[in-house]
Amino acid sequence: MAVSAHSLLKSMLLLRLPITTNTIVPPRVSRPSSSPLNLISCHYLNASNRTKSRHFHSPTLYTRTAETPKKHLICFNYNTSASHGKGTNYLELTDDELMRQCEMDTFKASGPGGQHRNKRESAVRLKHLPTGIIAQAVEDRSQHMNRASALKRLRALLAIRVRNSLDIDSYSPPLELLQILPLKSTIRGSDCGPQIGPKNPKFILGMQALLDLIFAVDGSISEAGKLLGLSTGALSRLILSDDSLRMAVNDLRNSKGLKPLR
Amino acid sequence: MKLGLSRACFYSSCSASIFSSSIPSLTTIKPKIPLFLRPPTYSVASSDLQKWHGWAKSLASSVGSSFVESDDGPDSTLLCRELNWLLEDSLENRSSSSCFSFAACNYDSLDGIENVMLRISLDDLYQLWKQRIEERRPFQYIVGCEHWRDLVLSVQEGVLIPRPETELIVDLVSDAVSNNEELGQGLWADVGTGSGAIAIGISKISRSYGRVIATDLSPVAVSVAMFNVQRYGLQHVTEVRQGYWFEPLKDVEGQLVGIVSNPPYIPSDNISGLQAEVGRHEPRLALDGGASGIDYLLHLCSGAAAMLKPGGFFAFETNGEKQCKFLVDYMQNDIAGSFCNLNIVSDFAGIQRFVTGFRQ
Ligand SMILES: C[S@@+](CC[C@H](N)C(=O)[O-])C[C@H]1O[C@@H](n2cnc3c(N)ncnc32)[C@H](O)[C@@H]1O
Repeated sequence: MAVSAHSLLKSMLLLRLPITTNTIVPPRVSRPSSSPLNLISCHYLNASNRTKSRHFHSPTLYTRTAETPKKHLICFNYNTSASHGKGTNYLELTDDELMRQCEMDTFKASGPGGQHRNKRESAVRLKHLPTGIIAQAVEDRSQHMNRASALKRLRALLAIRVRNSLDIDSYSPPLELLQILPLKSTIRGSDCGPQIGPKNPKFILGMQALLDLIFAVDGSISEAGKLLGLSTGALSRLILSDDSLRMAVNDLRNSKGLKPLR
Repeated sequence: MKLGLSRACFYSSCSASIFSSSIPSLTTIKPKIPLFLRPPTYSVASSDLQKWHGWAKSLASSVGSSFVESDDGPDSTLLCRELNWLLEDSLENRSSSSCFSFAACNYDSLDGIENVMLRISLDDLYQLWKQRIEERRPFQYIVGCEHWRDLVLSVQEGVLIPRPETELIVDLVSDAVSNNEELGQGLWADVGTGSGAIAIGISKISRSYGRVIATDLSPVAVSVAMFNVQRYGLQHVTEVRQGYWFEPLKDVEGQLVGIVSNPPYIPSDNISGLQAEVGRHEPRLALDGGASGIDYLLHLCSGAAAMLKPGGFFAFETNGEKQCKFLVDYMQNDIAGSFCNLNIVSDFAGIQRFVTGFRQ
């Protein structure tokens, strides 16, 4: 439970930055069922969706935060900067910190619950309040584990949906992006360590930076490849190695009238 | 309250005669081993397992929403999910990916002649899934366990299956302990412990110096709770005692730093309308809270006043808003001066579920 003063301070500072450069990418309308993310529903806080997403009092721990001064500070900060914030920074938050930006509810509130019911309420839905992104998990066997899965999905969604603009002329890839590149990249120094693959939780950070770049070059894989010291083919293979990354890139290419990678 | 008293007499006489022949004594109750812990001794052709899986799936699908309509029971989506979990617990290699590739109907990729190792015979698998659908036997009794928080707890007929809502009691205790070191180092009680869920959950968080005593009147619950405590290697911090609420705790009266309980709170009249998995299969002793459902909660409130040290913490689960308010009112008026900082806490479905507070 204890969050170090340092990380608290850091997250507060990050959240306070007046950032105007990020955008949230609209979600796909449908996903092929082969997608590993097909259990996720995402939508925004706009009028039409709001009616769909059920709004409970954010219960228990996360509303009772006012009791402990530490948590209160975070809430306060996040309230004042709601709907701003930088995607990368969300991903840098610890699970506890990210959770505090979320409203959690379970699905079925019909009926009295508790001893009356067997199962079902172990499903969990998290709404990330600053972005309105929703992640849910139903397939784990305890509520606790569903919460952890939903949080993991939320991170993937934040990486995919929250875009940071960057300046192509002075572009130099951040370390977390270099780390997911294959070793043959000509700009990847040997100090980057072994290549981080999609199964590693750190992959998400690199994926986010890669998507930022690909968006900045309007979906051109050869352009992005040049900036990363990779051939078009090598970068394509990297993109195709992760389903959610591939789909995010193809959504963009689609919207620009480019052919999908396959 | 009158009713509560007479029930009290009835149960205490029960507990006094617990070792007589009418009720099995503790030593004769052997907890059942959950499926996932049994040895994988059954070799089954994967084509036969596939056949079973196909049959089980169509049985689940045939349910549609009929259970939902009759008593708000499970729909076929949930039943299919349970089927995957049953497979996960039965297969030797329980990595869920291997189950999912199996369940994904991708049968062509599996060699039909290849054998797989199961922890249960194929006949029993047919039997169990039939019971699940036709008798509405709870899934958790079928596999003999429930996943609760990060724990996998053994359960069996005679013991309440711990509920997801109750997971929060552990968080409430964790909060209380993190704000007050003394609470983490003292003696706690989980009364009416059932499978031992809450007791084990809080034993793991107050790992430092605290101790937990778990009590239950039901001999089955006591032996299952002991089994679970041992499985998590917590015998040195978690003790299980049998008896009527606080009676087995007489020796520690006034010494507890915390009490948690999820006592039976369903009004007697509601029992017959419960979803079949609950009403037909779970022990009435674990559900029925008397005419208004609140008898035991009131008993526990007054008991807690005597059992807790000054500054001690309690958290009780209730049936919802009405019982929460009633309890708070009772503590503020009928037994005024005993407790302070009373708080009603909602569960994740937004239902006012818990009452917490401190001994004055
Ligand atoms: C609703 S269940 C809760 C079980 C467990 N604490 C949980 O949350 O999963 C209530 C428990 O109280 C026990 N119980 C009922 N009457 C009791 C009594 N008079 N004294 C002690 N335990 C009792 C039942 O056997 C049952 O295990």
